[in-house]
Amino acid sequence: MIILVILLPFIAGILVPLLPFKKRSHWEIFLECAVILNSILVWYLMLHHSDSTFVLAHFTGDLNISFRVDGLSMVFAGLVSALWPFATLYAFEYMTKEEHEKIFFLFYTMTYGVTLGIALAANLLTMYFFYELLTLVTVPLVMHTLTREAILASRKYLYYSLGGAAFAFLGLIMIIVYGTTNNFILGGVLDPARIGDKTNVLLLIYVIAFMGFGVKAAVCPFNSWLPQAGVAPTPVTALLHAVAVVKSGAFAIIRLTYYSFGTDFLRGTWAQTTVMIIVMFTIVYGCSRAVKETHLKRRLAYSTISNLSYILFGAVIMTPLGLVGALSHLIIHAVMKISSFFCAGAIIHQTERNYVHELDGMGYKMPCVFGVFTVSALALMGVPGLAGFISKWNLASAAVESGNTVAYFGIVCLLISALLTAIYMLTIVVRAFFPGKDFDYSTLEGVKDPNWKMLAPLFVFTFFIILFGVYSQPLVDFFYDVAAGLY
Amino acid sequence: MYLILLSIFFPVLAGTCLLIKKEAADRRSLLITTGICFVLTGVLVSATLLTAYGTGFTLFYLTQSLPVCFGVDAMSVIFSAMTMIIFLCAGFFSFEYMKHETKEKRYYGYYLIVFGVLNALCFAGNLITFYLFFEMLTLTSMPLVLHNGSREAIMAGLKYLFYSLCGAYAALFGIYFIHKYSDSLSFTAGGVLTSSAMTEHAGLLLIVAFVMILGFGVKAGMFPMHAWLPAAHPVAPAPASAVLSAVIVKAGILAIVRLVYYIFGVSFLQGSWVQTAWLVLTLTTVFMGSMLAYREKILKKRLAYSTVSQLSYILFGLAVMDAGSVTGGLLHVLAHGFIKSALFLCAGAIIYTTGKTRVDELRGIGKEMPLTMWCYTIVSLGLIGIPPTGGFVSKWYLATGSLHSSIPVFSWLGPVILLVSALLTAGYLLPLTIQGFFPGADYDYEHFKKREPSRLMTIPLVILTVLSVLVGLFPTPVIDYLTQIVSTIL
Repeated sequence: MIILVILLPFIAGILVPLLPFKKRSHWEIFLECAVILNSILVWYLMLHHSDSTFVLAHFTGDLNISFRVDGLSMVFAGLVSALWPFATLYAFEYMTKEEHEKIFFLFYTMTYGVTLGIALAANLLTMYFFYELLTLVTVPLVMHTLTREAILASRKYLYYSLGGAAFAFLGLIMIIVYGTTNNFILGGVLDPARIGDKTNVLLLIYVIAFMGFGVKAAVCPFNSWLPQAGVAPTPVTALLHAVAVVKSGAFAIIRLTYYSFGTDFLRGTWAQTTVMIIVMFTIVYGCSRAVKETHLKRRLAYSTISNLSYILFGAVIMTPLGLVGALSHLIIHAVMKISSFFCAGAIIHQTERNYVHELDGMGYKMPCVFGVFTVSALALMGVPGLAGFISKWNLASAAVESGNTVAYFGIVCLLISALLTAIYMLTIVVRAFFPGKDFDYSTLEGVKDPNWKMLAPLFVFTFFIILFGVYSQPLVDFFYDVAAGLY
Repeated sequence: MYLILLSIFFPVLAGTCLLIKKEAADRRSLLITTGICFVLTGVLVSATLLTAYGTGFTLFYLTQSLPVCFGVDAMSVIFSAMTMIIFLCAGFFSFEYMKHETKEKRYYGYYLIVFGVLNALCFAGNLITFYLFFEMLTLTSMPLVLHNGSREAIMAGLKYLFYSLCGAYAALFGIYFIHKYSDSLSFTAGGVLTSSAMTEHAGLLLIVAFVMILGFGVKAGMFPMHAWLPAAHPVAPAPASAVLSAVIVKAGILAIVRLVYYIFGVSFLQGSWVQTAWLVLTLTTVFMGSMLAYREKILKKRLAYSTVSQLSYILFGLAVMDAGSVTGGLLHVLAHGFIKSALFLCAGAIIYTTGKTRVDELRGIGKEMPLTMWCYTIVSLGLIGIPPTGGFVSKWYLATGSLHSSIPVFSWLGPVILLVSALLTAGYLLPLTIQGFFPGADYDYEHFKKREPSRLMTIPLVILTVLSVLVGLFPTPVIDYLTQIVSTIL
């Protein structure tokens, strides 16, 4: 069962170019059904999960490829499986204007399986394996348009990711040498007897591995691949570069921190302070770059950089509450950002406008898209009543509870970033709805909202942004249970 | 419970419907619909104040520890009664005024929404509810600022937005900490901080208090975050400037009242460095605002600077934390509300009929629009603080309260600066009266024609003027009411 959900997307993806489909709509239906079926299987697996570990391959001693469903994997797998069907639906419509669709969907769907592999991995080795694989299957997606720019971007993405994984590999080795096992166990697996006087070495390795996984999570200074990778078609930028790929990085860091090194070992050390400062810097840096950027998708990409570091900030507080904050933002940011990216995609699809200053007055021509965009903008700012407020609340209260002075400054960074978020998001909203009295509406002749395949995902995400904003208790309770190791 | 909810959500929903509705060809039907909404909201708010006094309820929970709750207490009554009166007067005034502006439907839509949000602020029962609607207020009142769509207006709107959000986030920073160090976030006279937190984490909590006062102070135009106010208020249509300057900024005052007297509690802040720093900021603002107003030539901008200065009178009264000064501050909330909205409506009437915006262009205006200018003169005297108008009583209480308090230096420095500022107020308000009524011998009486605006404009103006005088002539019932409130929170 557990291996099925990982393999099914591979099979479905490969079948798309192989099977002799007569019409486009046929393979669309086939693929959508496969993705939905897989998501249902994932949810079934989560609801009926058992503690057993599924071992796929056994190497030597402790080294094996194995899968297991625990609390953290439920969060990530649940998120990915909830978003994928919508993103696929959206991509069908979006990709009508691009070429080589079948190849695109082959890799797009395979990525689903790989991401689930990361989510369900039971030990560091398995996660590392799928982590590398994720880079490889997503490179073709980034270079999809085959322009010079896209090829450069994908090459950069490849080198950055592989380089990062190499650093992370050091962490893997250290865990194997100094840990009792490399399986994920909440609280860490380091063996005090083996550590001896090597504490500082291990802390250094933690920081290195953090930065290694941090490449995918776009931690400063390893973030420049992400805005560049925005040349990919929007479904890729939205789902992979706002959710699946980048959150795999954040997910891996959470695994590393809470399930391998263990927070007791790390809390209060110089390593924690170092990574926290790096993360806080990234939070402010990403937002400031977003304010400066005028290309809409790149602006959102910089916003992602900043928001990913919110998640990491929660993670490096290294308390159960911090984990709750990190997980809340992991889920909630995904919904908010995919929503705003899909709006950007809808604008590009309908009008081929890419820059912020080209959006004047469009709010009245595309009311649905810009309505959704406004909601996601307000949510990203953290307006109460919308989802973003809840996750920021959890992050900030974790920081307050921790009593860590550096974390107090982290709250300041969060709020500065919220203000900058307001600046870079609301200027767009104001432009769209209040273009000024001299604006000539005839330049927008023929601009209209896209069809239902694009709008339906947008409305669903907006619904969840509002739902989590006013009623998040079950979700947050679940995170508390995860952080307490109940699953 | 339903009345409170209705008085909040009816205007919000009505406004939203107006915004969504297709542009009607007929101006008349739009005005009738809007007028009915105004009156209904007014009725709902009055009914709420009369019947729901003292009640409260929780609407829902954002998370387990964050209830969204509403309630009506004495403080809500003061603020929401004032809000309602000024909103209705300025609302009917705009029926005439907005004839020479475009996009009226959008204007009335946001106007109604802001009305509802302000009611929500008055009835908010805890800090998180307050914060929720505080952000809403910023977001929904911004369209009023940038209404005319000129580049200047849009820039001013954005400036307003980002300054206010900056303040709101500073406040949010504090809420995180208060949440940890208090029993609950609900407004309780005397404060909610736990006694252990007050002794163990006093240093941190004082910093938090200061940051929050600064943050909420942005909305109240307190130095050093006042620069948005003179930019944003004058560019809005005149009736919108009136509510912005008279009511919406009072949300900042209400926030600080709630924060200082209902969350931190006087005993915690009295005598601390926070109080001293706050006093310095308010007195700086009082003086600076008046000085800038004195130097300003454009009438509406002058009035906006005057708002900066007058709001800090109120904040000064609150910062002194003496029974008399707090009463004076709260009374000045009312007096300044009526006076400033009347002043802006006068400015609006002048712009509407003559199209002139600069003070030096308005020679002889008193001959042309006697009623408007009489109202202007009467409320100006009130703002300066000449008896028997509203401003006199409130300033009297402010000054005596300050002298009565035992704060070193500020107890006498405060009244001195208030008096200097009163002199400046006379200096920037009265020249218009003097030029208006006494244009001088070389005034060209040939082109003179009487052009009083229509009754739709003059009646709201007269109502506000009369109210501001009444507050001064018969202050006893209001003062008794305020003294009662103050005795519970001090």
